[in-house]
Amino acid sequence: MADFSEQSYRQPFPFLDIDPTMESLTQFAELNPQSFILDNSAFNFQTFFPLSINDSLFSNQASQGETMSGFIHNSNQSSVSAQPIFSAKTEVEEISNKRKALDILESSSGNSSSSSPQVSETGIKRRNNSGRGKRAKSNEKEMEKPKELVHVRARRGQATDSHSLAERVRRGKINERLRCLQDIVPGCYKTMGMALMLDEIINYVQSLQNQVEFLSMKLTAASTYYDFNSESDAMERMQRRKAEEAKELERLMREGYVGIGGVACFHSSSTYGPL
Amino acid sequence: MMNTPQQVKNPSSSLKSRFITRFLGALTKITAEDPILSSSPTRIFQRYRRIKVASNKSMAYSVRSRRIWSRAMLSRFRSRRSAFSGRRSSVKTTNCGEAMDVCNLLDETAHYIKCLTTQVQVMRKIVDFYHLSK
Repeated sequence: MADFSEQSYRQPFPFLDIDPTMESLTQFAELNPQSFILDNSAFNFQTFFPLSINDSLFSNQASQGETMSGFIHNSNQSSVSAQPIFSAKTEVEEISNKRKALDILESSSGNSSSSSPQVSETGIKRRNNSGRGKRAKSNEKEMEKPKELVHVRARRGQATDSHSLAERVRRGKINERLRCLQDIVPGCYKTMGMALMLDEIINYVQSLQNQVEFLSMKLTAASTYYDFNSESDAMERMQRRKAEEAKELERLMREGYVGIGGVACFHSSSTYGPL
Repeated sequence: MMNTPQQVKNPSSSLKSRFITRFLGALTKITAEDPILSSSPTRIFQRYRRIKVASNKSMAYSVRSRRIWSRAMLSRFRSRRSAFSGRRSSVKTTNCGEAMDVCNLLDETAHYIKCLTTQVQVMRKIVDFYHLSK
């Protein structure tokens, strides 16, 4: 059991291949058929991280001590062991810099911290709506923490959190779409941040528009060169042939009329015609 | 062509086929009704502009009103038909009256990019056909 949990901790999150599903499910209140995976993993994490990490957590951030104790008072024992998941997660966050994994871990820890053994992702939202006044304190601390921890704190269950909840949903949607655009637009890397990505996207759109213009110019050239008189094309061919024949005749008369040979040349030239 | 899981299009009525039909129709109309008898630059430029507008218009009409950018482009075509419409502005500078938050903007951009790539692809093929058949 411990081995498995170690493994699942070291490789960031074997769930990464089912990420898109996880993402959308964290954002939309739908029953997640795969959430049972999260539950299992959550339990694994709980067994993996000893309580000593808890203490280090408390010592590092003394101000959180109150909220921690508040957590312990108000939530189950399982939530305490869920604490280290957050810290470990933030460290891993810095290492791997994958917010997808974060969401998965968040949801897993969220599931573990809920008192009811429900298996759905909506547990996150329901927890948020549960009226826990003591969480309001941690809300204020959200502002100072990095964005990921904000997610974590809010996930703990906030009554006054409708704003940050909606904010999180909105950010998740934006990230999802940015990811799609990243796949479409070449040369777009998520590590570049939103501004640079948008720059790349704008460049790409403009280059595509340039391509359309260039191709329409090419089409113009092709159409004017090839069939600008599609109806009178046959007429043109005849005229061209006549002009060519006239030229041939002139040349022959200049070089000197060579009886049958000249006539043969004349015929052969006329059979070529315009290609 | 990209196919998102939510929008699996019937191949017979896909965006690509709609665009091809419309654009080829416009193209034949342009080449037929206004033959360039002399290679004067102005006539050639006129035709170039008409082909470009036809290409953008065909794409906007193929998307119809399902997207904000197509609605903006269609309204622009209808209102400014006489004025010279140069290169159409990018989605971000579109003067559409609808509310456009970041989320919708990214959506529109993705769809717009997909349509642009379809346009480029089809036009390339048409040019190749011109070269091959003549």
